[in-house]
Amino acid sequence: MTGTETLKATGNPGPAENPVFSVRDLWKVFGPRADRIPGGEHAALPPAELRAATGCTAAVRDVSFDVRKGEVFVVMGLSGSGKSTLVRCLTRLIEPTSGTIAIDGEDVLAMDRSRLRELRRHRAAMVFQHFGLLPHRTVLDNVAYGLEIQGLSKSERRSKAAELVAKVGLDGLEDRRPSQLSGGQQQRVGLARALAVDPSVLLFDEPFSALDPLIRREMQDEVVRLHREEGRTMVFITHDLSEALRLGTRIALMRDGGIVQLGTPEEIVGSPADDYVREFVRDVPREQVLTVATAMRPALAGESERGPAVRPEATVAEAIEAVSRSGDPAARVMDGGRLVGVVDHACLLDVVAGTTGPGHATASASGAPGTHTGPDAPDGAREVTF
Amino acid sequence: MATAQATPARPARAGARRGPLAALRDRPAAAKLLLLALVAAVVVPLVHGRWGGGVWPDALTADLSAPLGEVTDWIVSNRDSHPLFLYFFGHISNAVVLSVRGVYLLLLALGWAGVTVFAAAVAWRAAGIRLALTAGVSFLLCGLLGMWVPTMQTLALMVVAVLASVVLGLLLGLAAGLFDRVFRVLRPVLDTMQVLPAFAYLLPVVLVFGIGVPGAVLATVVYAAPPMARLTALGLRGADGGVMEAVTSLGATGRQRLLSARLPLARKELLLGLNQTIMMALSMAVIASVIGAGGLGDRVYQALSSVDVGAALAAGIPIVLLAVVLDRTTEAAGRRIGAEPTGPALLRGWRGWSLAALVTAAVTAVGRAADGQVWPDDLTVAIAGPVNTAKDWMVDHLYTGVPVVGGTADLAAHFTSGVLNPLRSGLTGLPWWSVLLIVAALAWTIGTWRTAATAVLAMAAIGVLGVWEPSMDTLSQVLAAVAVTLVIGFGVAVGAARSARLERLLRPVLDVFQTMPQFVYLIPVVALFGVGRAPAAAAAVIYALPAVIRITTQGLRSVDPAAMEGARSLGATPGQQLRQVQIPLARPSLLLAVNQAVVLVLAVVIIGGLVGSGALGYEVVLGLAQGDLATGLVAGAAIVCLGLMLDRVTQPTTRRQRQES
Repeated sequence: MTGTETLKATGNPGPAENPVFSVRDLWKVFGPRADRIPGGEHAALPPAELRAATGCTAAVRDVSFDVRKGEVFVVMGLSGSGKSTLVRCLTRLIEPTSGTIAIDGEDVLAMDRSRLRELRRHRAAMVFQHFGLLPHRTVLDNVAYGLEIQGLSKSERRSKAAELVAKVGLDGLEDRRPSQLSGGQQQRVGLARALAVDPSVLLFDEPFSALDPLIRREMQDEVVRLHREEGRTMVFITHDLSEALRLGTRIALMRDGGIVQLGTPEEIVGSPADDYVREFVRDVPREQVLTVATAMRPALAGESERGPAVRPEATVAEAIEAVSRSGDPAARVMDGGRLVGVVDHACLLDVVAGTTGPGHATASASGAPGTHTGPDAPDGAREVTF
Repeated sequence: MATAQATPARPARAGARRGPLAALRDRPAAAKLLLLALVAAVVVPLVHGRWGGGVWPDALTADLSAPLGEVTDWIVSNRDSHPLFLYFFGHISNAVVLSVRGVYLLLLALGWAGVTVFAAAVAWRAAGIRLALTAGVSFLLCGLLGMWVPTMQTLALMVVAVLASVVLGLLLGLAAGLFDRVFRVLRPVLDTMQVLPAFAYLLPVVLVFGIGVPGAVLATVVYAAPPMARLTALGLRGADGGVMEAVTSLGATGRQRLLSARLPLARKELLLGLNQTIMMALSMAVIASVIGAGGLGDRVYQALSSVDVGAALAAGIPIVLLAVVLDRTTEAAGRRIGAEPTGPALLRGWRGWSLAALVTAAVTAVGRAADGQVWPDDLTVAIAGPVNTAKDWMVDHLYTGVPVVGGTADLAAHFTSGVLNPLRSGLTGLPWWSVLLIVAALAWTIGTWRTAATAVLAMAAIGVLGVWEPSMDTLSQVLAAVAVTLVIGFGVAVGAARSARLERLLRPVLDVFQTMPQFVYLIPVVALFGVGRAPAAAAAVIYALPAVIRITTQGLRSVDPAAMEGARSLGATPGQQLRQVQIPLARPSLLLAVNQAVVLVLAVVIIGGLVGSGALGYEVVLGLAQGDLATGLVAGAAIVCLGLMLDRVTQPTTRRQRQES
C-alpha cells in the first residue's frame, strides 16, 4: 500500500506495475438483445427494474479492476452477485457483452480461437467448485489431463503429474478414481490439475464451498502455503467473508453485478464504503483484521522510549497481546527502526469497540476509501461503483 | 383453446363468485371435453347426414392397391436393370450377403468348440466369470438341442446387423448429440419408431430388396438402430456441464472435448444403447424369418405353421439362451464401467484379452485337428418327440373337460366368444365418426391437443386406407389383451409393492421374461390354447405383463416415504394408503405402464397373425406369402397408424411433466 498508483474515482486505475489482468468497463448481460444494455438508457436501472423493462439480467455491470502480479485477488459476494460470471469472463468461458480485458497487456477479447486456447492452456488455469474431474480417469491421468491436451508425451506428462500429486499431498492415491476420493481430496486433484500446466494465474471459482468446514480450513491453508512458496497470482472467488479475509491481498466486494468496494481486507473491514459493506463485515472480529498502522496515533514526546515494539502491519490483536504482556500503557510502532507512531489502550479499544471512524486514524497510510476521491486516494478507493 | 391449456389448474381462492367459465378453467379436462362436445354437436349431424354411420364410408377411402400394385410391379420388373438398384441397392444387398456369409463361414471355421470358448472368453473379459460359464453352457445347450447350424446362421446375421445398427446409430446419435437442430428433428422420429410393431418394417424392405437375407438384415438394422441413436444423443447431451467447462478451461479443442470428455462421459448410455440394440436386433432377426432370414426364427416359424410345438420349442430355447447371454453380458459390462478393476493384476487390460484370444485360438486348433467343426450328430438330444408327446397329453387332458375350470381350449373359446367377438362387433358397429371422437377425447384429456390431432389423423388414415374393419378387429384384440394385462399387472404390482419377498421372487422371473424376443411367446400359447385370436391375445398378455408389473411396482414403491409416513401416522389403513396416497402419487408411472402395455400388446397381437389371429397381422403375412405386396403394404401402413394412435392416446402430457421436473 505504498500509494504509488494514482486511481481516479471515475473508475480508471492508472498504470499499475504490469497488472496480470486488467479489466475495464466490463459488462455481461444475459437476455434478449443484451448488447444494447451497456451504455444504453437502461444501464443504470436496478436489477428488478432492468428485468422488467428489457427482460435482461446484468450479471456483471461496468466492472473495472487490475489484478497485480503475485497477489491473491479475491472477488467476494453473495450468490447471484455475478462473481462466478466475472471470473469466467476472464478466459472467455463466458463471452462478455462489452468492455475490455487484457492479460499481460494483451487484449483477451481480440484473441482468435487458437490464441484463446493458448491462453487457457498455459496462462490461466481454473479450479472449480464442483471439481470438474473426469470420472473415468485415474487421479494421475486427471492431473495430467491439461498436459495431454497440450500434446505432451505420456511419460513427460505422467512424471510432471506425479510431482504435483505429491505436492498437493495425494501420494499413494495416483491410481484411484475421483469417485473413490473424499471431496477435499477431489479438490486437491483439481488444484493439482490446474497447477500442472504451470499457469501464470490461477483462477478459483468458489473452490471450497462444497467442502466441510474443517476440510475447507485445511484447503485454505494449502492455498496460503502454495501462494507463499510460489508467489503465483491468484484470482479467488468466494461467498465466504472469513475466507476472503484470510486469503485476500485485496478484496473486491460485489453486489448485483457491480463492485461495491475494492480494497485490502483492512480497508473493507475498517472503512466500509457503504451500509451494505458495513452490514456485511459487522460480525468480523476487527482486531484480527485491522493493523496497528490503522489504529496508531502520532507519538507524543517521551513515548519514543517506552513500550514494546510492534511492526506497522501487525494486527491489533497482536498489539493488544504485546501491550498487556509488557504492562506498558502503549506500544511503539516501529517500521524498520523508525518510530512511526504509538498505539495506546484507547487506540486499541477503539478498534475492538468499532468506534474508529474515518479520519480517526490520522497517521494511517490508508485513509477512508469511498471518502477520499482525489487523485492521491489510496489504492482500492472506489474503483467502481454504480 | 390454447389458453385453457396453458394455464395450469389453480385452486380458486374466491370461491363465492365464480362463474361457470372460471370453474371450467379449474378443470381443464372438463373444458376440453366440453369444447369437443360443442364441435361434435355441430359437425356430427353434417357428417352423419352426408356419409352415414357404421363402418368407414367407402366414399372416403382411397383405393391404393392399384397404384401400389403398379409400384411393386415396376420395382419387381426393374430390380435387375434399373441403375438405382444396380448401383445402389444392389451394392448394399451384395455387401450384406457377403458379410453375412463371411461371418457365417468364420463361425463354422472356428468350430463348435472354438465358438463356445470364444463366447465364454468374451463374456469373461467383459462381464466376469459367472457370465462366462453361462455363455459357455448356453452354446453347448444349443448344440445339444441339434440347433448348432441354425444358431450360427442367426448369430452371423445378428453380428452383421448389430454392427451396422451400431455404426448407423452412433452416427445419427453423434449428429443429434452435437447439433440441436438435428436433435429436434430426429427425436420425435426415433421415439415414434420405437413404438411401432416390428412387422410394420418388413414390407417396405421386402419391396426393395425382395425376400432373403439382405432384406432381413436391413429390416433388423432399421428396427435396431433407433435405440442406439437415441441413447447416444441423450448421453452426449447429458454430459456433466461442470466437467465440460473444466475441460474447456484447460484449452481443449473441439475434437479433444468430444474424444476425451464427452464420449467417455456417455459410456454408460452408449453401452445401454448397445444392449438395447442387440436385444432388438435379436427380436427382429427372429421375426425376419418371415422374409427369409433363415436360422432359428425360420425353424420356429416352420414348426408353428404346422403346429409342431416340439420342433418350435427346440428352436425357441436357443433363441432364449442367446437373448439371456447377450443381455446379461452387455448389461454386466455396463455395470462394470467406472468400477475399480478386479482380479489379479496379471489379467487386467490387454493381458486378459490376449489370454482370451490365445485360449480361443488353441481350442480352435485342437478342434480342427480333431475334426470337430460341426456339432457331432450323436451328441444331440431330440426333444421334439417327447415334447410333442407331452403336448398331445395336454391336448387330451387339459384342453377340455378339466373339472371346475373347464380346459385351456374351452377357456380360449370362451374368451373368444365372450370377450373378443362382442368387442369386435361393438367396435365395427360403432359409427366411424364416434370412434374418431372417442380417440380425440381420450388423447386430449390425457395429453395435449397435438397428441390428440396426431391420434385422430392416424385413425382417419386407417379409414382412408380402406382397412377399417381388420383394424377394428386388431384393435379389439389389443383392447381385450390390454385390459387383461392391466388387471393382472396392477394386481401383482400392488402385492409386490407391499411385500418385499414377493418382489424378490418375481425379479428373476421378470428379468428372463423381459429379455425374450416377442416371437418366442407364441410357442407356449400355441401349445396351451391351439391357434386363433385368443392365443395371440394370451401371448400379448404374457409379453406385456413383466413391463407393466415392473413399472407399476417401481412407481408405487418410489412414492415419497414422507407422504406414506404422514398417512400412516394419521391412522390410514393399508387400503386407504394405497387409494389415497400411493396411487395418486404414482399416477405418472401408472400412465406409463398403460402406454407400455398398449405398445407391447400391439406388437405381439400383430405377430399373432402367424398363429391365426387374423386381422392386420394376417394381411401382412398373406401379402408376403402370396407376393401381393400392395395388400401387405396397406396393412403395414395401417399397423403404423394404429401404433401411432394407440401410443398418442395413452401418452401423458410431456409438457406438463417437463414443467414439473
